Amino acid sequence: MMSKFIIIVGVLISYASLAFAQTPTAKEIISKSEENIRGKYSQGEIKMTIVRPDWTRDIQMKSWSTGDEYSLILVTGPARDKGTAFLKREKEMWNWQPKIDRVIKMPPSMMSQSWMGSDFTNDDLARANSRVEDFVQSVEGAEVIEGRDCWILQLIPKDEAGVVWGKIKIWVDKKEYVQMKSEFFDEDDYLVNTMLAKQIGTLGGRTLPRSLEVIPADEEGHKTIVEYLSLNFDKPIKNSFYSQQNMKRVR
Amino acid sequence: MLLQLATRNIWRNKRRTLITIAAVAFAVFLASVMRSFQKGAWDNVINNSVNLFFGYAQVHKDGYWDEQVLDNAMEWESSFDDIPDQIAGIKAVIPRIESFALASSADLTQGVMVIGVDPDKEDDLTNISQKISQGNFLTPNDDGAVIAEGIAKKLKLNVGDTLVLISQGYHGANAAGKFPIKGFFKFPLPDLNKTLVYISLSQAQDFYAANNMISSLVMHIDDARDVNNATAGLSKLLDKSKYEIMDYEALMPELIQARQMDEGGGVLIIGILYALITFAIFGTILMMTKERSYEFGVLTAIGMSRWKLFGVTFLESVMVGLLGVALGLILAIPLVYYWHVYPINLSFMGEQATAAFENFGMEPVIPTAFTSSVFMWQAGLIFFITTLLSLYPLYNIIKLEPVKAMRN
Repeated sequence: MMSKFIIIVGVLISYASLAFAQTPTAKEIISKSEENIRGKYSQGEIKMTIVRPDWTRDIQMKSWSTGDEYSLILVTGPARDKGTAFLKREKEMWNWQPKIDRVIKMPPSMMSQSWMGSDFTNDDLARANSRVEDFVQSVEGAEVIEGRDCWILQLIPKDEAGVVWGKIKIWVDKKEYVQMKSEFFDEDDYLVNTMLAKQIGTLGGRTLPRSLEVIPADEEGHKTIVEYLSLNFDKPIKNSFYSQQNMKRVR
Repeated sequence: MLLQLATRNIWRNKRRTLITIAAVAFAVFLASVMRSFQKGAWDNVINNSVNLFFGYAQVHKDGYWDEQVLDNAMEWESSFDDIPDQIAGIKAVIPRIESFALASSADLTQGVMVIGVDPDKEDDLTNISQKISQGNFLTPNDDGAVIAEGIAKKLKLNVGDTLVLISQGYHGANAAGKFPIKGFFKFPLPDLNKTLVYISLSQAQDFYAANNMISSLVMHIDDARDVNNATAGLSKLLDKSKYEIMDYEALMPELIQARQMDEGGGVLIIGILYALITFAIFGTILMMTKERSYEFGVLTAIGMSRWKLFGVTFLESVMVGLLGVALGLILAIPLVYYWHVYPINLSFMGEQATAAFENFGMEPVIPTAFTSSVFMWQAGLIFFITTLLSLYPLYNIIKLEPVKAMRN
């Protein structure tokens, strides 16, 4: 009798835990999604296209990153910008300008400014804030984006975090945890940027968007497109790689 | 015949006539000379200020003046080089590209205004090579920079040091560059003296990623009188939907307004002068009318038509006016001309006065303007007043009762 009871309870509990496992918390969703993007190490080649009503500009670059904390971006084209580099270590960011032989430390006030004239901010590239640690996440609903069923997550920054945005809404694909769409709001709840994931495919062995588009809310005909030409998550990178010396040397 | 009568009547009372002529002449003389000085001085100020930097006319991409950003620059067209040949009065066209940048030396940084110029053409217009205080001005396609003294002081730079400039270029490109400092210049206006950096046009276009672009095309015009012709010519030559053409009055409105304000004061003074003269002339005519009432009475009594009588008195006053104006002009014109050719030199007032002028880039002189318009206006106005006043006796003559008049 007792053993039957235990088995039934055991089965019920396992079903219950299965049921709980079905609906992950917002924090878990974001965690998993971010891990997918970041990986422990990543390096890749990127092409960024800045689209304006009257003109278009291309920037080619190589990028290296270790988790959330360290990243190095080297601009490889066009010729006039070649050799420019951006280094991030934890919360600090530097810019190397070979033409004037100067390393410029970028102050926090510069973080919300445009990166190289694009619609991405310095902050976007620095990813100085962890979507997991620096925000309070909640699931607000669900929506289908590009044929994928997504959770709609709302991220409100924690007070101590020093985040440039007032609020971020992220649509995360339920099956593969791809961040399909993100909306960035300022402190007055005004929509500033929308980021869309396009060309979802396999990159470096993971399911990731091959291209990201950032569309500013206020400007007609403005857009920045980032295409990942190649992405590799397997090669480990030493932390010493991320140094001001290396920023000047890396090719 | 009326004319003969009028002439004789005037010279019958020599003293009164001469006094009236003198009064009118004085008014015309004073007004002409004063106005000539005022106009001359202001023309001089404007002439010196305009070609210090802005020039008498400029051409930009339509909309540039209201939003002076690099993205509103225009493409240089080779046809621009033909403009001096096609429009009279324009000596040369001077291309410029301007934008903001951060200048730095070692640890110090300052915001500056960078101007990319064609060194020879620029110097021809603004004479900047005269304002160099250390080192030299730029040579064509120079790779260096010439900076304002204020910047040199703030950033602790010497000639030969390197100036680092960083900015945002055309279409958001990154702009960064190093420039060896070739010289310092000193501008009279303190604002410009702290913020201007000159580099060659080709260097600037490269720095800002603005290939073949310019912000403004400055017209080198030497004579202010050619400006209207020049802007009209430019309007015909250039596509108005693409470009905007502005003359110095639009480019430097504060200067024009300062002149108008100052000249307004002068007009007031001349107005008072005219009022005085009007009363003087009126006094004469009044006295004449009353004094001759006996004469008028007799003439009317023996049958002279009242209108003819009025005609005579009218002619008398008009002639006196004319003579006065003529005398005034005869005295004024040579004097104004002399001072026009040999302007009054203020250096006798001492060093401080001279320095004050030279601070604004002007010679310490007060020239006069020698234009017919000044004389014609003053003469014309006084003549008009005299003529108006000459109508006064009409009333008197019409109402005249000959017997009563003869009895007085």
